[in-house]
Amino acid sequence: MSFLRAAVRQVVGLFVSDWVQGGVVLAIIAAGWLAVSRLGTPAVVVFVLLIAAQLVWFARAEGVRRSRPQSPS
Amino acid sequence: MGQQVLIFGAAFLGSAVEATEALTIVLAVGLTRGWRAPLLGTVAAIVALAALVILFGQLIVTRIPDSALKLLVGTLLLLFGLNWLHKAVLRSAGAVAMRDETRAYQQTISQLQETESRTDWVGFVLALKGVFLEGLEVVFIVIGVGGTGHGLATAVAGGLVAAVVVAAAGFFVRRPLARVPENTLKYGVGVILTSLGTFWAAEGMGATWPGDFLSILVLVAVYYGASRLAVELIRRPAVA
Repeated sequence: MSFLRAAVRQVVGLFVSDWVQGGVVLAIIAAGWLAVSRLGTPAVVVFVLLIAAQLVWFARAEGVRRSRPQSPS
Repeated sequence: MGQQVLIFGAAFLGSAVEATEALTIVLAVGLTRGWRAPLLGTVAAIVALAALVILFGQLIVTRIPDSALKLLVGTLLLLFGLNWLHKAVLRSAGAVAMRDETRAYQQTISQLQETESRTDWVGFVLALKGVFLEGLEVVFIVIGVGGTGHGLATAVAGGLVAAVVVAAAGFFVRRPLARVPENTLKYGVGVILTSLGTFWAAEGMGATWPGDFLSILVLVAVYYGASRLAVELIRRPAVA
């Protein structure tokens, strides 16, 4: 059972390590799908820039969080 | 031709990284408890993984319509690639420790020494679990990279060649492959997988890329640039 649980965790972890970031990426893809169907190929440029921007945003946020000194408990 | 080279390269590099991690576990078990059980565990894991590739590879290629397949695989590849790239950025910026195969090897050995009195079943399960779980990532990379764009055979070849090369290196060296630039490889493969995922997801949405497959090079440049920007922003000291 623990092996199966580890396998499931591993499979989910392949795609999502931060649920908020995963949700944002899926929202961008859904918005991109809508935009491409209405505006055509030019919408792809905005789609790519949004994906790149979220990468910078979430990496920076986690980097800052990890480098912040831990408060004594 | 260029598309096939990219598919082979991405499958090879991604698989090589995961095969190196699996090899560390198998070596730690084999060198401390003997080779029979870990080799059997490795073979069992490879058979299970091969069945997954054949089953899901054929299923998705033959049953799912082309545009839906591109959107699905592109989305998964995008999530997968961004996951690797996110971790690679944090490692490059020094916010997360680099993966160290020598340390992973020592941890596995101390884990084994705690269970010294048990039977060789432990060695079998540890090798099976390590190879299967790391191999799941190889399976996804192979299917994700090759499942659309008619490149499954090329991607499978890339994955197999990587596994053979890493296994051969492990056989001759008989210790963890600490010199493999694993973190750099993960960074590079993360950028490539994110770019491939974007390319296929957008094609699945109905977009047409200018320059077709060549636009992947532009995507690689955009995502590499964004990742370097993230590294610089993390390294830059916060203004008080």
